[in-house]
Amino acid sequence: MTKFIKKTVLFIAASAFILLAIILIPNYVISKRSRFAINNKDRIVLFGHSHPECAFDDTLISNLKNLSHSAEPYFYTYQKVKMVLQQNPQIETVLVEFTNNQIDAKMNDWTWGYTYMSSMFPKYIPFMDKADIGVLAENNPKDFMNCLSVSARNNLVRVLTSDYEFTSIMGGYFRIDASRTSLTADSISSGQGEMVRPGVSLVNLLYLKKIIAFCRERHKRVFLVRSPQHHSYEYLKNEKDFLRIKQAMFSSTEFLDFGKFPLRDDEFADFGHLNYKGATKFSKWFGAMLNSGLLKTVNKQLFIDQSISGITTRNETFNRTASR
Amino acid sequence: MLFNSFSFALFLPVVFVLYWFVAGKSLRNQNMILLVASYFFYACWDWRFLFLLVFSTLLDYFTGIKMSGTGTKKVKKRWFWLSVIVNLGFLGVFKYFNFFAASMAVAMANIGLHVNLWTLKVILPVGISFYTFHGLSYVIDIYKGRIEAERHFIDYSLFVSFFPLLVAGPIERATHLLPQVKKARTFDYYAAADGLRQILWGLFKKAVIADQCAEFANTIFNNSSGYTGSTLLLGALFFTFQIYCDFSGYSDMALGIARLFGIDLLRNFAFPYFSRDIAEFWRRWHISLSSWFRDYLYIPLGGSKGSTWAKVRNTFIIFLVSGFWHGANWTFIAWGLLNAIYIMPSIIFNTNRVNLQIVAQGRALPSLREFSQILLTFSLTVFGWIFFRATSIAHAFSYIGRIFSKSLFTVPAFDASRAMVFETLVLIIGFIVVEWNGRENQYAIASLDKLKKRSFRYAFYFSLVLIIFLFMGREQQFIYFQF
Repeated sequence: MTKFIKKTVLFIAASAFILLAIILIPNYVISKRSRFAINNKDRIVLFGHSHPECAFDDTLISNLKNLSHSAEPYFYTYQKVKMVLQQNPQIETVLVEFTNNQIDAKMNDWTWGYTYMSSMFPKYIPFMDKADIGVLAENNPKDFMNCLSVSARNNLVRVLTSDYEFTSIMGGYFRIDASRTSLTADSISSGQGEMVRPGVSLVNLLYLKKIIAFCRERHKRVFLVRSPQHHSYEYLKNEKDFLRIKQAMFSSTEFLDFGKFPLRDDEFADFGHLNYKGATKFSKWFGAMLNSGLLKTVNKQLFIDQSISGITTRNETFNRTASR
Repeated sequence: MLFNSFSFALFLPVVFVLYWFVAGKSLRNQNMILLVASYFFYACWDWRFLFLLVFSTLLDYFTGIKMSGTGTKKVKKRWFWLSVIVNLGFLGVFKYFNFFAASMAVAMANIGLHVNLWTLKVILPVGISFYTFHGLSYVIDIYKGRIEAERHFIDYSLFVSFFPLLVAGPIERATHLLPQVKKARTFDYYAAADGLRQILWGLFKKAVIADQCAEFANTIFNNSSGYTGSTLLLGALFFTFQIYCDFSGYSDMALGIARLFGIDLLRNFAFPYFSRDIAEFWRRWHISLSSWFRDYLYIPLGGSKGSTWAKVRNTFIIFLVSGFWHGANWTFIAWGLLNAIYIMPSIIFNTNRVNLQIVAQGRALPSLREFSQILLTFSLTVFGWIFFRATSIAHAFSYIGRIFSKSLFTVPAFDASRAMVFETLVLIIGFIVVEWNGRENQYAIASLDKLKKRSFRYAFYFSLVLIIFLFMGREQQFIYFQF
């Protein structure tokens, strides 16, 4: 019996040691050798999910790099922010998307739901600390093991092939050519008709706080931004909660709201995303705003609103003239 | 609490330590610890159904004693039928009521009568088909005078509820398990080490092959109308390996766990995909259920004695019942019928016991004839699994219809990374090679302890652990838990 227990314990210990080595060694190597480099000229970086990913065409905005990624909650953005800021000291300003659906409980699923975790976790595990990993393990222990296995396999391959390049996979502007008007009613309702779920994702908000704190520690200016969205966007239903949370948790961080930037229906890919046409219009305007000193003005939102109302007035005049 | 879960990884060592160190050599204490652990294990699924399990145990325990104690055949018969009716009644209510109600509604609708039948909103108690069959075999054996009733309640309860077999078998017999429960058990190093080896192999089958295949099989079967024939064929192949590795992996783990406690359970699988005909396949697939039906249904019906017509009738009956045992859906009945049709030629021509030996025994490779036989049997099995996996008969026919179309000769394509599919196929091939090499053993890697070089042995074990970790699929429920 003693022999059996001794051998079994030894076998389990040796197996655990091998597995830990398989997980930790590649993670360590990747964390040291990974490359999150962006162009030296880029002084402003933008993080967020698919809304800014489709709205900010960074080829039209000087000195800005769009690093947004579809379906990316703040949990994973935080890991990316850490690496990007560490490796790109030229960055002066960080813009982080903060919009209605990012307070929603749906963000929990984006953080540890299997579909999202299995694609994001393997990518960012080398840069996570124990507490971060604990968040996932605690909230979805069943799928966590599988994701750990996938990440060990992927990272092993990464090390074996010396592939430490993250620049190309960390996000960027995403062009959509379809317009809302060209979509069928079905696809609009299936894509956008999802109901706003009750509840707030505390973990998402906590990691947004962490992002802000990290940027400040590194003496970077941080702004929360809200990309343009259609007035019929489903998540606008939680606007009251959104404003309350913004006030309660992020009042010390300036908020630049472009949510009401005037766009026609055919400039939207759907209610939450701009298509190429809309992104071009918005990005040109945003680039001009930056050049006009948006980030240096005292009352930034007033500056934005005045500019937006100018566009709206011009559009209305144009429409009236056209209709005559 | 799945065998491949963290909670079970904590539960098992605790029970092991309590069993061997706290209970010591006292048989009563050992059985008591195993029984409490088994009830705890079952309660972890759903504690409410524990009452059903205890009730079923009490019923068979008392009817067994009543049958043994009475001298008159009439009274004995009365107790026997009471147990059978109540046991099958529970099974009927929990497992089949909604099926019958829905089928009745459809039948009525077909003749123009629209009825809104009352259906039960119940969850199927996990393992009900297994422990009901345990109890039934015990009661039938007493009724037939093969065994005496067990008077010790703890021993009998442990026979019904022993946790490794409680939720998905093997379906044990009182003649096999009860004597082991009543016999003093001492620790056997080699049996326990062999048990651990079998657990490891079962875990590989379940976590790697079955769970990886499950993801692809689910994707393909759930969206079958959009895929080409070749993709659907690949989906059927994935399911073929999923169901085998899922169930036989579970059985391997159950047998291995039982061996840690000094108990040998019935073998449930004997490399069925290397069978040369369907009769051999059924002697090697879910052996404990096949032999249950043989002993308690086929033989009482007359078995292979009597006219050819009687044999054909009996065969159809057991395959129909076997299909229905698997679940309340016409697809299972169709699967059972299909297998009855498959086996019919060997029943009619009396060739069902031709292939009793292990294929290519003592040889590395099968002969061309054997290989063709294996391939044909395997193909028939794959075809049969389509009915088993489909959601309805219409789904099965449309699936098969799409397979046998021009698109069968295209490159399979579905919503999964090619690398992942390729990786799974390589793992399946590796698995087949190991199973083929180990086909003369109780399980594929049983002969590993005969390897003289300890370093080779350990290299294999550690590689297996590594493969399990690196290639495990997303954790899936064991398929047979739903039965």
